[in-house]
Amino acid sequence: MTTSSSKQIDPAFLKSIEGKQSLSKIWVGSLIILLVLGLVALVYQIVKGHEVTGMRDNVVWGVYIINFIFFVGLSYSGAFISGILHFFETPWKNAVMRIVEIVTVLSLVVGPIFILLCIGRLDRLHYLFIYPRIQSPITWDVIAIITDLIGCFIYLYLTFIPDFAILRDKEDLEVSDKRKNIYRFLAMNYQDTPEQRAILKKITRTMSAMIIAMAIVAYTVLAWIFSLTLQPGWNSTIFAPYFIIAGLYSGVGFIIICMYLVRKYMHLEHYIRKIHFVGAGIVLLVMSLLFGYFTFSEYFQRWFSHKIHDMNLLDTLFDEYFLEFVLANYIGVLVPVVILFFKRLRTIKSITFAAVIAVLGLWLNRYLIVVPTLETPYLPIQDTRPEFLHYTATWVEWALTLAGVAGFCLMFTLLLRFVPAIPISEMMEGQNKKNNGHRAKKADS
Amino acid sequence: MRNTVKIQILSLLVLALFLPWQAIAQDFDLKAYRLRFKLETTKNADGSRTLDASFVGQNKKDRKDRLPVHQAEVVFLNTHEDEEVELGKVNTDETGTAQLTLPSDQNYLTDEEGYIEFVARFEGTKEIKKKEADLKVKDLFLEIQAEEIDSVKTVVVRAFALDSTNQRVPQDDVDLRISVRGMLSDFIVEEGSTEDGIFEIEFPDDIPGDVNGDFTMVAFVEGSDDYGNVEYTLDSDWGVFDDVPQKEKNELWTEVAPMWMYVILTIMLVGVWANYLYTIINIRKIKRLGS
Amino acid sequence: MKKENSKNEQNRRKFLQLGLLSGMTALAGNSLIQSLQDDASADSEDSGEKVRVLTPDGKMVEVDAASLNKYPEAHIPPAEARKGIPNKKFVMVIDLAKCKNARKCVEACQRGHKLDYHEEFMKVQLIQNNDASEPYWFPKPCFHCEEPPCVTVCPTGATFRREDNIVLVDNNRCIGCKFCITSCPYSARQFNWSHKEKFDDESTPYSPETGVPGQEGTVIKCDFCPDLLRQGKLPYCASSCPMGVIYFGDKNEDLVTNGEETVRFSQLINDRGGYRHLEHLGTKPNVYYLPAVNRQFPLERGFDVEEEVIERYKEVPYVQEMKKKGKI
Repeated sequence: MTTSSSKQIDPAFLKSIEGKQSLSKIWVGSLIILLVLGLVALVYQIVKGHEVTGMRDNVVWGVYIINFIFFVGLSYSGAFISGILHFFETPWKNAVMRIVEIVTVLSLVVGPIFILLCIGRLDRLHYLFIYPRIQSPITWDVIAIITDLIGCFIYLYLTFIPDFAILRDKEDLEVSDKRKNIYRFLAMNYQDTPEQRAILKKITRTMSAMIIAMAIVAYTVLAWIFSLTLQPGWNSTIFAPYFIIAGLYSGVGFIIICMYLVRKYMHLEHYIRKIHFVGAGIVLLVMSLLFGYFTFSEYFQRWFSHKIHDMNLLDTLFDEYFLEFVLANYIGVLVPVVILFFKRLRTIKSITFAAVIAVLGLWLNRYLIVVPTLETPYLPIQDTRPEFLHYTATWVEWALTLAGVAGFCLMFTLLLRFVPAIPISEMMEGQNKKNNGHRAKKADS
Repeated sequence: MRNTVKIQILSLLVLALFLPWQAIAQDFDLKAYRLRFKLETTKNADGSRTLDASFVGQNKKDRKDRLPVHQAEVVFLNTHEDEEVELGKVNTDETGTAQLTLPSDQNYLTDEEGYIEFVARFEGTKEIKKKEADLKVKDLFLEIQAEEIDSVKTVVVRAFALDSTNQRVPQDDVDLRISVRGMLSDFIVEEGSTEDGIFEIEFPDDIPGDVNGDFTMVAFVEGSDDYGNVEYTLDSDWGVFDDVPQKEKNELWTEVAPMWMYVILTIMLVGVWANYLYTIINIRKIKRLGS
Repeated sequence: MKKENSKNEQNRRKFLQLGLLSGMTALAGNSLIQSLQDDASADSEDSGEKVRVLTPDGKMVEVDAASLNKYPEAHIPPAEARKGIPNKKFVMVIDLAKCKNARKCVEACQRGHKLDYHEEFMKVQLIQNNDASEPYWFPKPCFHCEEPPCVTVCPTGATFRREDNIVLVDNNRCIGCKFCITSCPYSARQFNWSHKEKFDDESTPYSPETGVPGQEGTVIKCDFCPDLLRQGKLPYCASSCPMGVIYFGDKNEDLVTNGEETVRFSQLINDRGGYRHLEHLGTKPNVYYLPAVNRQFPLERGFDVEEEVIERYKEVPYVQEMKKKGKI
């Protein structure tokens, strides 16, 4: 089994692992510059205090928490999608599985870093574990994120095991001995025996089911941080499902973008094909319609019943944030719908473009959820200082945002030099099945 | 010649800028303040008597600008005709008040009608003239009797003085008020004056008092020309404090959460982490099988 | 002879001029040194509270005000501060009919808690209920709710509600997540966004009951001054209001006082139609308001304040009308 499989591995998979594919210096260089800028901003914020951000006494949560919700949303939706794909063994999952799982884990690493930036006293972070209060949605969120992070790591690792086994067994793999030892250790003596395969299959299946449940529960808990308060604009009963749908929307969009980049820059055109994009695009279409439906429900309901504080909120949205509102909720929904609805418009590039619009629109949607509510509290803000009346993010917050994205991209890039972007073992299984099918046919005829 | 003069005049003008014009303008003017020296006396519930001398300057133009005199020595005296008995010497504090408390068994010089004359004196300095304030009060005794007569809560206050033979002399037309003592202030129940030395009221029966239903009743004479301030207290248990039932302990906002939250959280966490454990055990099994 | 005389004259003149010059220089130099010293001493005087008094010699000096916190006897450490003053249920009643935006409550609270100009535990807002009614001045402290949403959401238990109704923040435990600030529907809480010099003042140890010294990255708010209550004194705001707008007391005793008069709490609420703000939110505040009926002062009196303060109310329709008419 081992020798035959080594012959059948497409060298395209191994190019990046063997270091034969040169990393674009511009790419890595710019990511590192952004990371350094972020580090400078971080030090500046730690030394000078949170005063250097745009947050003030009314809008106490700004870009950091928006990024947190956004990245964690990507993660949970990735977990949800990969869980579903695996559990129901959908036919074309192989091309995208690895990318989805990596996105899940990495965004769950980057997201909580943002929330740490929002905490006033980082030196007291351990109080969350020494003096927890379980009535607080933040405590639930801490538990959920930690549990989910570990779960996603385990799940990702489980999918790596067969690939590590293949890499370990390939004698002519051109990597350093140290790396080979790492592959050997991480492969956990997996020899692809029927027994081992059965066990691995079982636990992976169980984990995939668990991941789906955890994704829903964990993102619900995050939504509850907002909807369990009394504030106008947040105190909504459908916030949890709304967040899950929005998270899925942004997650699918983000995955499409990653698929596009991996396909292009790792030359995997043969494996990540248009049909995968169309499949993901259809999901994106459905999500976009659902997202539009939920968003519309939220705002239409408030406008129709026109309670005073809801109307104040809508006034703020349409006066100060009109452009963002249109971009997030109109363009962010309609452009992907139009592109994906018409078969003729569905090309790989157009689908990726729709995904980009979706992701950006969703980030803005998060902004419009967090900030306008804080700017229109029940008791009017009667203040003269402009930074207390209207939130404007400072360079520190933007630098750290870009650094977070850059960190994600860098980790993603580096990880794909360690692990194949397509699960080789699954591809091989598919190949073998095909070949066996051919042989059977030949035997028959 | 002229040039040097010019230079000199110029330099003089420049120097003039450095002169402490501000200080000269802001020089403290004692004459702008009228210094008031007052004396008050309070007979306390335990029989002791407090003498309060207040020495405060008031800005003649701005009445709200008050300047208390600090560390001024005030002598309290009890006088009768030409006789003077020094009662004590006290320095004023930063509010301009000098306070002296005399015990209940203190003997005073009195005149024929039983009035005690008190004098507070500030000897004076070069800058501040000698000040003196005096007042004449009769030693008033108050007695509170609280009884429930025919299920009506009745409070009777007796105001009297003692004559030379220690006989009670009821004092008529004494303006007093009956209050309930609260944590931060006294609540006036009723005000009135004595008739034949007696002031009787029907006490309201809805005063809660403290958690044990206790409170302090106060009879108080304020600023009387004849008696000064007089206070007398009586502890009463007429409070009708409603024992407010203790709310349930476990709420969202208490230290201990509702029980069901702990239960659900435990179930969920145990379920999830048990699965992780199961997965890890199986990974090791795979490892064992492959070796 | 004449030449000699003129020379003498010149010499005299020169002598006089020299004398005048040196005299003025001396004065100038002295005052320069004085003012430098004054600046130096002014800085050191900022630390304690001072009052102006007159000495028996007729001089005006500044002395320490009688310290209101009798440390160390009165220091209540954080653990003790969670228990509260036994058998009390504090409550505040604010009479909107008497408030004329004198802002003495705001200033007294700022002095007592060592707050900066813009840090206001007690805020005075201008609220207009609807277009037909005139707005009213609305002093708003923390409401110390019975069912506080801020306490519910605190992940570390840094903010807590005591048996005596007071809700406090323990700045030794606060991690600065600001969830409580977003959770309070009355916008009663504020945050220390950066380090301030006053935080380094170690003269009194920290107690949640005083909130002094503050700490960077923690939440601050009105605390009903439990340190004063333990001494039988009213909170800073209640005792400083010149109109007697703020009544404070104990619900158990059923008495509230504004320093001048003491009334039965139940009677005050019943006779004057006392209500709580945004009652429908279910937080059950412990600050009651008496409606702005039969106002003691015309509304315009309240605009007799600094420009910056008037600017705050520019969104209120009434103020916009007044500005148009040129009355403000």
